[in-house]
Amino acid sequence: MTTTDSDASGTAVEEAITSTDPVTLSKVWGMGGMTAVLVGLVAGLLVSLERLDLEGAGIFGSGDELFQFWSAHRVALVLLGVLPILVALGTTIVPRQCGANTLLFPRAAALACWTWLIGAGMTVVGFLVDGGLGTPDGGGQRQATALTLMGLLLVIGGLMVATMCILSTILSGRAAGMGLGDIPYLSWTTLIAGTIWLGMLPVLAANAVLAYVDLRGRPAVRFGAEDAIWEQLSWVFTHPAIYLLALPVLGIALDVISSATGSEPANRGVLLVATAAFGFLSFGAYAQSFFDTPGTPIMEETIYVLAAFAIVPVAFVVLGGVLDLLRRGGSDLGSKPPASVVLSLIAILLIVAGTVLGALRVVAPWDLLETSVTGAHFTLVVGAAVIGAVAGLNHWGEDLLGSPGFPGLMLLGGLAASLGVVLISAADVVSGFLGQADFTGVDLATAGYPDSGTGALNAVSTVGAAAFLVAGLIWMVAGIRHLAVDSAGAG
Amino acid sequence: MLSTGFKLWFGLFVAAVMAAVLAGYTSGATETGPISVGWKGGVGNHVSYVIILSAAAGLALVGLVALAFRDADAEAQAEVLGLEEAPEAQAVVGNSLWPIFGALGIGALAVGLVVHPAIFVTGLCILVAVGVEWTMTNWSEKVSGDAEANAAARENLMRPIEIPVLGTIGIGVLVLAVSRVLLASSVNGAVVVATVAGLLVFGGAMAISKRPEMPRRAIRSILFVGCVAVLLAGILSAVNGEREFHQIGGGTSDDDAQVETDH
Repeated sequence: MTTTDSDASGTAVEEAITSTDPVTLSKVWGMGGMTAVLVGLVAGLLVSLERLDLEGAGIFGSGDELFQFWSAHRVALVLLGVLPILVALGTTIVPRQCGANTLLFPRAAALACWTWLIGAGMTVVGFLVDGGLGTPDGGGQRQATALTLMGLLLVIGGLMVATMCILSTILSGRAAGMGLGDIPYLSWTTLIAGTIWLGMLPVLAANAVLAYVDLRGRPAVRFGAEDAIWEQLSWVFTHPAIYLLALPVLGIALDVISSATGSEPANRGVLLVATAAFGFLSFGAYAQSFFDTPGTPIMEETIYVLAAFAIVPVAFVVLGGVLDLLRRGGSDLGSKPPASVVLSLIAILLIVAGTVLGALRVVAPWDLLETSVTGAHFTLVVGAAVIGAVAGLNHWGEDLLGSPGFPGLMLLGGLAASLGVVLISAADVVSGFLGQADFTGVDLATAGYPDSGTGALNAVSTVGAAAFLVAGLIWMVAGIRHLAVDSAGAG
Repeated sequence: MLSTGFKLWFGLFVAAVMAAVLAGYTSGATETGPISVGWKGGVGNHVSYVIILSAAAGLALVGLVALAFRDADAEAQAEVLGLEEAPEAQAVVGNSLWPIFGALGIGALAVGLVVHPAIFVTGLCILVAVGVEWTMTNWSEKVSGDAEANAAARENLMRPIEIPVLGTIGIGVLVLAVSRVLLASSVNGAVVVATVAGLLVFGGAMAISKRPEMPRRAIRSILFVGCVAVLLAGILSAVNGEREFHQIGGGTSDDDAQVETDH
């Protein structure tokens, strides 16, 4: 049989799955992350709808099912959504910022990318087949829970290897004459965030392994008990670990606004120290309430409360740097500032609001730790991280794909997301002060709060969740169209 | 002079040590426990103290490495290498199958731990094979400065091993998959399946041979899709189970005849 040898290159699918090109890998990270964000937002909306009428239990059959979706919402947004999108930016933008010709260890980066994707798939499947990360009433399938834990381990492994590749590039791949203190803000904040991720993710992996080992075989002794798994892992979805998602967003905002205004922050040294302090205060692996010893619970200990308050002025320092940039170069932005600038500014404001709410949350007399204020805090910080990451994708989209994409759609989505985040957070904060729990309870029939006045607030929160989901859909459409334009251009 | 990296990580180390001590003393530590790492007195909340102190140790190590290697600045690298200018930190590498196969191996390992030991062993085998292949690829890239010569060196070494091994595995897997399909089908259905499959293969091969201008990647795609289809059919058939076989005579003797019945 004779065939033509003229077309020896692989098919598009072969190219995609065998590529070690950072741009291709970042497309996988970015689209995978955005898909996970959408999945998380759908889960969040369903939980929000159920919360409107818990006694009716119209969507979920039991408290365990509600819990599975509630926890899936958080896992999907943090470990499967925002972190991968930030890795996408780190994979492509950071090497360019540092003057490196490519990402260091590109094959390891590809391995990390695919491992994460397979792990993310396993995690989602685990949740869908009645597994997840435990249930309060022990109603989940043990096998499926084990699958979710293994998926989570793969996700953690992928994220860690990708982070190591990015940090190695920042350290060893810099151009001659560029000191570590001279790198742009996104690279700097990624360096710090990556350092802290590499300190925290192994602890999370250890938690997951502990739960998995105890879960398998004979009845669980302690760590693998269905009602104990989430508590061991929940620290990564709350203060202070949650702030680590926001740290690269600070760098994105500073770079984006600096680039748009054509001015440099006057106090670079202060901003470098402030972002390093922000990273340090985001280290949250110690805040494991599951391992509380008799005495003061960790969430009421000085170190936890102090970190919650200390991060507020740090966030304000960064906000000051951003405002200083706008003061000095804002006139250059004109009447219609770029979408990335608007979204970056919104993200910074939401982060600052998140730190303030985080401080209020730990004030002991108000007793808010177990209330929906914790959910509001999560929404503010994660929402800010999503909006900020999208701002980054929009700002550097042309560098990556050769065309500017659809900034109008990105902005529209960003505004819808901002509205959604504000509505959810505001409603949940007030509900929290009225006593509504973060997770609304195991027994749906008695978990409602008919006399607490939170019904209307939950409706507002549901509208916010819907707006956030609409934003995710708009971004997805914009992203797919951008990639399609890129593919057509390449063809 | 202290480098920026050292200042960053050593600063974080100092802050972490102070945080650990604070966490210890404010959570029930006694005497000098938090300062002496528990040598004299308690450290308070063990979990938070140990985790923060471990993080501090890691940060101190990274800080010292950054200081020793001067933040891996390009100038420092050039000096160590004795060159005027540091070379690119990473040579651009081409496409590679091993990362995705490695990830599939890891995935199979993880799924196998949960579902079935056979999948775990399969994952392990994939990982070993990927490890060998990846190692040989890396070795070949350093044989010379000529990429083509390097590729040839790799092929000369690995092709005599890869082709028979992969051929054997491929044939074995396909035979196993087809046998599962035939065993899952009814008695007459198996005959129909075998006939249709044979005709498809024969017809497809004839069609391709009639079109010598067909691009290689189109043929590759057809083969890929065909293999995936057979594998999926095999897996689904295996999950579905074989048709029932009844022993005549009810004994276990080899002389007993088998009667096959449809589902």
